[in-house]
Amino acid sequence: MKAFDIVIVGAGMAGMRAAIGAVRRDLRVAVISKVHPLRSPGLSAEEGLNAVLHDGRKASGKDPAVPALMDLHIKDARDCGYQFSDDAPLETMVQRAPGVVRELERWGCPFSLEKDGQYALRRTGAVSRPRNLHVSDKTGHAVLYTLYEQCVRLRQNKPDKLRFFEEWLVLKLLVSGNAAAGVIAMQMDSGKTEVFQAKSIIWASGGSGRVYGSTSNALTSTGLGLAVPVSAGVTLQDMEFVQFGPTQLPGSHIQITEAALAEGALLLNRKGERFLASYNDSREEMELSPRDVICRNIYREILAGRGIDASCVHLDMRTLGRRKIRAILPVTRELCRKHAGADPASQLIPVRPGQNYMIGGIHTNEKAESDINGLFAAGECANPGVHGANACEGDPLTEALVFAEIAADSASKYAVQHRNRKHGSETLFRNALEEEENKLTHMLTVKGEVRTAELRNKMQELMDRHAGVFRDGMGLVEAAKGIRELKKTLAEDLHTDGKERRANPGLTEALELKGSLEIADIIVQAALSRNESIGVHFRNDFPAPKGRRRHSLIKVRKTKIRIRYTGVKSRHKWLKEIAPGKLAEKL
Amino acid sequence: MKAKTWKISVFRFDPLKDTEHRFVKYTIPRSGVRTVLDALIYIRDHEDDTLAFRASCRQGRCGSCAVHCNGRYGLACEMPLKSGKNTIRPLAQLPVIRDLVVDMEPFWEKYESIKPYLVRSSKTAGRNYRNRRELEKKIDCILCGACFSACLMTGKNPAFHGPAAYVAVNRFLHDDSDAITGQRLAMVKGENGVFRCHNMFNCNEACPKNVEPAENILEIKKNID
Repeated sequence: MKAFDIVIVGAGMAGMRAAIGAVRRDLRVAVISKVHPLRSPGLSAEEGLNAVLHDGRKASGKDPAVPALMDLHIKDARDCGYQFSDDAPLETMVQRAPGVVRELERWGCPFSLEKDGQYALRRTGAVSRPRNLHVSDKTGHAVLYTLYEQCVRLRQNKPDKLRFFEEWLVLKLLVSGNAAAGVIAMQMDSGKTEVFQAKSIIWASGGSGRVYGSTSNALTSTGLGLAVPVSAGVTLQDMEFVQFGPTQLPGSHIQITEAALAEGALLLNRKGERFLASYNDSREEMELSPRDVICRNIYREILAGRGIDASCVHLDMRTLGRRKIRAILPVTRELCRKHAGADPASQLIPVRPGQNYMIGGIHTNEKAESDINGLFAAGECANPGVHGANACEGDPLTEALVFAEIAADSASKYAVQHRNRKHGSETLFRNALEEEENKLTHMLTVKGEVRTAELRNKMQELMDRHAGVFRDGMGLVEAAKGIRELKKTLAEDLHTDGKERRANPGLTEALELKGSLEIADIIVQAALSRNESIGVHFRNDFPAPKGRRRHSLIKVRKTKIRIRYTGVKSRHKWLKEIAPGKLAEKL
Repeated sequence: MKAKTWKISVFRFDPLKDTEHRFVKYTIPRSGVRTVLDALIYIRDHEDDTLAFRASCRQGRCGSCAVHCNGRYGLACEMPLKSGKNTIRPLAQLPVIRDLVVDMEPFWEKYESIKPYLVRSSKTAGRNYRNRRELEKKIDCILCGACFSACLMTGKNPAFHGPAAYVAVNRFLHDDSDAITGQRLAMVKGENGVFRCHNMFNCNEACPKNVEPAENILEIKKNID
């Protein structure tokens, strides 16, 4: 058994930022991750992060003062999220975002600058002002490396305070009397399991995009990271809100960053028309419309028979010019050339929508607290209620970094307050470890017929077809039924080639799939239960929003998924003419 | 007529069980399989789920999947398969954990030994923007380890930092706000430092991101008098 003050699950952007925060507060921290920190999926977050900067631009006479700029940031995020954001966390994020940026800059993250030395800011979709900071189109890479560099520095300066456990898979969250007590993790190389005892835990396990087949997420974003706290009884929020990105390459579903659209790329149909002009909700802002609107209209265009190869539309970056593409979209250029076999400066790139980001996640508040004492969450796996029903480009990255720091602060305070309290008993740890061991042995000894990959493909197919951009009751019921069957097959009829625990990818794949199925089930149930269309959640059978704004709160007891609703905590009235009006218009 | 299958030969080795490595041949369908990574995933999904390899972002950003295939190093997710036999090997110069998974610890150890982080002082506070465009180009290394494996010197001299570590050194030398330039140069100019590099350019050849480690090493050498 290993004991620490704080255990952080996940070493991506949020995990590493939280680790830095906690070590600075002089606590003993363990970071557990199933991949090396520099292999985390945050690398592919190319679109930048949003923050209002006091010294961002030279104050021209027209510029409103900073508080007013922050109010605009809040308003943009709220409007983009169809007024579904909670006030407190959103305001916290916007107010603390500039600090996060300055800190990254101080640590050496080379944000792109204008010639005069001011930050280069991009105006992304659905916002009123440019506030998107970026490192050309490799922001995720630059930010993640900067955070890792600081972790290395802390580890060298305070070797007893920070430890990384790389390629360890977290299998169970231990809870004792509604307080988090530790986790059980398995070292993937050796197959040994171990209890990590902690005074407080920060969950930063990232996204679950791989429950879909058409997703831009990394192969590692399977959802196991979120399924583990769910099975320990944590409450999730808004899991039906799944963000789809409009511009992914067909087949591989590699995302061409929306920065391309922000820089002026166009979306064209088969006839070469900018088809967004023919839809009411995207007529005004065209390629800078909210992402959910663009995704729906791309599908409508394809369904009307004006798509390319029956499943895509064209992304036209030719207007940007070769020089601009080389200078500010180098990664996009490389991706197009290597994975689409086309040069964006001279050719059209076929693109289609696909899953991109999970808005839903562990229900947290503005202090990053979950409903289990001592368990805090940040990053894609958490939902503090910032993005509402549709995330604004760039805000997810800001949210992850701001709430990681907040989680570090809250978790440190909690750990110090409960320093002398006993977190979980020896018996609890021993029994839990034995139970996990038995589960692993069971998984390897089932003599079944069905391969993990077959089950995974079936699940992804169901999710793509029924829980995508457009959903309807019948389809969701079918998906729910299918997923229940897959769960049963996985438990009773699984085939694995290798029978040992040590370095067995077949075992980890099966464990990950089990988590994926749990999350897929939750997404489908949550989507089925919300009988309205709002933001990224569009139901063909209920195409209008309901009268009230409500978050869904999801809890799993034994195998039953329970969903209840709670009102959005916002003092702002629902401006019906903004959100629902637009929706009603297009029908 | 175009062949409907790919021929793949994969390095298999379990150091705790096998005395010697072996190459296992697989014939897999072409449809839906374009890159080396696609092939490895297909084999794991349909033929043998004990085949161990690392992969994550599958778009050439994370650096997990560096392997040796058909005579060169590269990222499995970026290397297209070719007709005829495709032979996939793990990275060289690093101990094999299982199959294509190698222990990257020696690589990380060397990377971390050169202090790969910015150290500011009150003198260097404030923003550096004179060379920001240049600096943006210096951060492209994804630490996949391909250059480390291709370099003849890392194999010969275990104390040599290796190309990737020097790319990181050069990145911080290019940062005006870094305060320990002297210390960095002192660290790399010793007996087993940059001058052990004999400009064989294997690293440039191996690098999947065109970082050109050899050029970075030359730039460092110019800074040392």
